Amino acid sequence: MNLWVIAEHTLREAVRRRVVLAATVVIGGFLALYGVGVWFGYRDISTDPDLTMSMQRVIVGFMLQGGMWSLNFVASLLAIFLAVGSISGEIDQGTMHAVAARPVCRAQIVLGKFLGNLMLLTVFIGVSTAIMIAVVSIITGQYAERAWTAPFAMLFAAAILLAVTIAGSTRLGSLANGVVVFTLYAVALVGGVIEQIGNFLDNPVTFDIGIATSVLLPTRALWDLAGAQLAQESGAASGMTGGPFSSLNPPSGWMLLVAGVYLLLALAYAIRGFQRRDI
Amino acid sequence: MDQAAIRATGLRKSFGDTHAVRGIDLDVPQGEVFGFLGPNGAGKSTVVKIILGLVQASAGEVTVLGHPAGSLAARRQIGFLPETFRFHQWMHASEFLDFHGRLAGLDRDTRRKRVDEMLELVGLAHRRRDRLSTFSKGMHQRIGLAQALLAEPPLVVLDEPTSALDPIGRRDVRDIIRNLRAAGITVFLNSHLLSEVEQVCDQVAIINRGRIVAAGDLRELLAAREVELRLGEGAEAALRASGLQPVSEQPADGRYVLTAAGDEEIARITAHLAGAGVSIYEVQVRSNSLEDLFVRLADATDQ
Repeated sequence: MNLWVIAEHTLREAVRRRVVLAATVVIGGFLALYGVGVWFGYRDISTDPDLTMSMQRVIVGFMLQGGMWSLNFVASLLAIFLAVGSISGEIDQGTMHAVAARPVCRAQIVLGKFLGNLMLLTVFIGVSTAIMIAVVSIITGQYAERAWTAPFAMLFAAAILLAVTIAGSTRLGSLANGVVVFTLYAVALVGGVIEQIGNFLDNPVTFDIGIATSVLLPTRALWDLAGAQLAQESGAASGMTGGPFSSLNPPSGWMLLVAGVYLLLALAYAIRGFQRRDI
Repeated sequence: MDQAAIRATGLRKSFGDTHAVRGIDLDVPQGEVFGFLGPNGAGKSTVVKIILGLVQASAGEVTVLGHPAGSLAARRQIGFLPETFRFHQWMHASEFLDFHGRLAGLDRDTRRKRVDEMLELVGLAHRRRDRLSTFSKGMHQRIGLAQALLAEPPLVVLDEPTSALDPIGRRDVRDIIRNLRAAGITVFLNSHLLSEVEQVCDQVAIINRGRIVAAGDLRELLAAREVELRLGEGAEAALRASGLQPVSEQPADGRYVLTAAGDEEIARITAHLAGAGVSIYEVQVRSNSLEDLFVRLADATDQ
């Protein structure tokens, strides 16, 4: 019961402190700009006599992948910012004292904050990706059916970042926690590119280094799940896609299992850390 | 009511090499107002936080109305006003109290009723729709007090409840504390304001350097008198022979300070000294205020 009270409180706080408003304005602006870009871009490619229909489809796929990747990046940053001071910030401000003295388990406080922020991210990712898919479909007339994998993969990755950031927040101050989590995120991002290079060069060491960064933080591997679906959607399994926006190699079932276990372990670590912390 | 509201046995807490609490035994009887005093850094806040389960003890045991401190059962018995009285600034006053009512497990109807009552009690009914960010320090302390009393707990822990209040606000809080006692609620009052403690507390414990240096009924503790005597030759031997131990002495000018349980003992001491042939030039009897007691005990422990 108290878990939902904390979750609702967390959600309400994000609304009242204008986090939702700020995110809506920024993402609304981005989507508007993106729509204008797609409209002008598609006007050019659809009237270019040198481009076949399949090539047009690949270019539209690129545009959708790039847009989705940007939304994924913003969702990741939002997950980190929402949770970076969720425990330590409240302890430093003194607002945690009255709450933690109530008959509420610390596990419920951690999970409540996780759930509240996850609900917010679900709405953010769901609405923004739906708008993006709709914008691309309306302007280009191409409906990207497989693109619906992307929001789920993005939400999974955001949930992991949220759990890791909350876990960090039980032990580190807001600034130190932000630095650690963002660095991990950047390493995983770069690791994904290294993995692609290793695959392209057929170099197992480079490839394994990329895999290792995915185990360190499996957010990039989850984006690869969405990226591979988007690449297939655009019919570009010919090797034309790749780079940071997409992947031709979706993560294996094992990697998804690792990501699931990783999420649970991060939450368990957060609960344990907060239970042992003196406030 | 033989069960103590709070019972601590052999309580210790260390933060690395710093020993904040060094073996405290404490018994807070139910239905009384208990003052917990001590200079800055004495370990008061650490003890309070252990009682609330915010800090884990390194050793020893604490129970709250028979439940282990920090357990959910123990926390259900406590209403707490933190010393920092910092609350979520984005919330409205009534929304804030409703949130704490939900955490305390109150149902919707009870919350609605209690929120109205508490806002009325602390004089903030007219600000119920205002955000806490618009509140003054004193108003924050008042809403914090309302939050502590919201769920009608049998034990209320107030950490410096009047530090931000004006004299009228302090008087109001004293009246609230007296009313709580009349209703049989135990109040554990951690305060620097000794006059306030003197006015409302039944029992006190004074802590310094992580140890309890005095504890008991406030009236009994204050009944002890301090007597300053300026005596002639032979005083030291006469005092030693009678088993009297000066708490401080300045033999250079023959001044000795003794503690006496009351007027009868003062008369007995002077008669004994006169009988021993010691000249008595001056006798000053000082009533023991809580401040005197506090300062003397703090100084004695520091030495």
